[in-house]
Amino acid sequence: MSRRSEARSEAAILRGDAGVDGLDTAADERDAVELERDAAREQLLRGHAFLGRELLTWLLWRSESTEPLARVDGDDVGLLFTGRLVLRGAFGDVTELVARGAQAPYSAQVKRALDAGLLVHQARLRLEHGEKVYEATLDAEHLDVRAAKLPDLIAEEDDERLLERLFLSQRLSALLDALVGEFLAVRSGRGWSRKVVPELKRWMRGE
Amino acid sequence: MALQSGSATFSRFTVEPPAGDPRKWLSRALARGRFEPLDLQRSEDDRSAGFVEREETDATRFGVGAVALGEWALFAWRIDAVAVRASAVKAELAKWEASFQAKHRRPPARAERATARETIRRELRLRTPVATRTFDVSWNLASNELLAWVASRKVVDEIAAAIELAFGAKLTPGSPAAIASRGGAALEKLGPTPELVGAPRAAEVVR
Repeated sequence: MSRRSEARSEAAILRGDAGVDGLDTAADERDAVELERDAAREQLLRGHAFLGRELLTWLLWRSESTEPLARVDGDDVGLLFTGRLVLRGAFGDVTELVARGAQAPYSAQVKRALDAGLLVHQARLRLEHGEKVYEATLDAEHLDVRAAKLPDLIAEEDDERLLERLFLSQRLSALLDALVGEFLAVRSGRGWSRKVVPELKRWMRGE
Repeated sequence: MALQSGSATFSRFTVEPPAGDPRKWLSRALARGRFEPLDLQRSEDDRSAGFVEREETDATRFGVGAVALGEWALFAWRIDAVAVRASAVKAELAKWEASFQAKHRRPPARAERATARETIRRELRLRTPVATRTFDVSWNLASNELLAWVASRKVVDEIAAAIELAFGAKLTPGSPAAIASRGGAALEKLGPTPELVGAPRAAEVVR
């Protein structure tokens, strides 16, 4: 070791940046698996993302019966999960699972994964409200609307079409708020832990 | 443009607007956060962002006719940025080094190289075209729902912060957690459902 690098290591020890073994005292000693799990746990808690994941998982369960899940302005809101589904977990060996296929969201494989502790993090939803049909991809953390397909526009003039599109976007947003409202009413109720969660788990197990 | 046609991608907010008639404060607030073009000759800034009119993205007059459509306020967020590619700097620097060595019959010293690198970067910056991006924002002044028509979360957060600053308004995102909080839920007491997230013990979820 040259004199210069010797002096450098000594100064690092004096500053407390390195131990007598010369290793960085602030070095992250966690292995790759631990780092990945900690990151997954951080993602679960960040911005209360778990609430969005529980919402999407609850919606998946409730939508299988094809019964309306809410009412907005006197019309039922129907919901169906279509296509791609992203599941995320924080405590198992698998932290992310992507399921593709028209029937994938309601498949036994997805239910098994949910039973193992993964929750829906991102999904493509088809919402029916009266005669209007919307499709959108949603994420659990922000509930941002991505690549939404709005119902066909009726207006012909540019400004009128723009206003109609704005109206439909706002309506889609209202439908989502109504679904969130339904979920939060159940989630904050006494029956959540005692009744709803056990039922949800039984559905995941295919019972 | 995202708002005008194609699939719809947006983030949702509820706004607590300033008091008074929107026709009075809307133009003034937008002007406060208006876009200022980059001046590469006089300024060191490589990025500029601010509000512009939606249909004329160079205009920042914000006349009522340009911003209001029915009960909506429509405007855009413009980001201009100039980014000098590191590979371009490296290539130019290699050329300079070759000519330096031919002229002085020695390789350049570290300080000479650093000065040349900075000069090259400055020259390339002036020659690099400015990249412009604009993102629509729609604000329903009757229901106070605001949609930011952008996919990037970073840009969404930037727009939300700019609106809060320019309008003195408070924006609440449309995430499940924010909706729960708006409904009176104590978020700090809210934790993931252990049975659903596959946590070994509830205590391990909320750290």
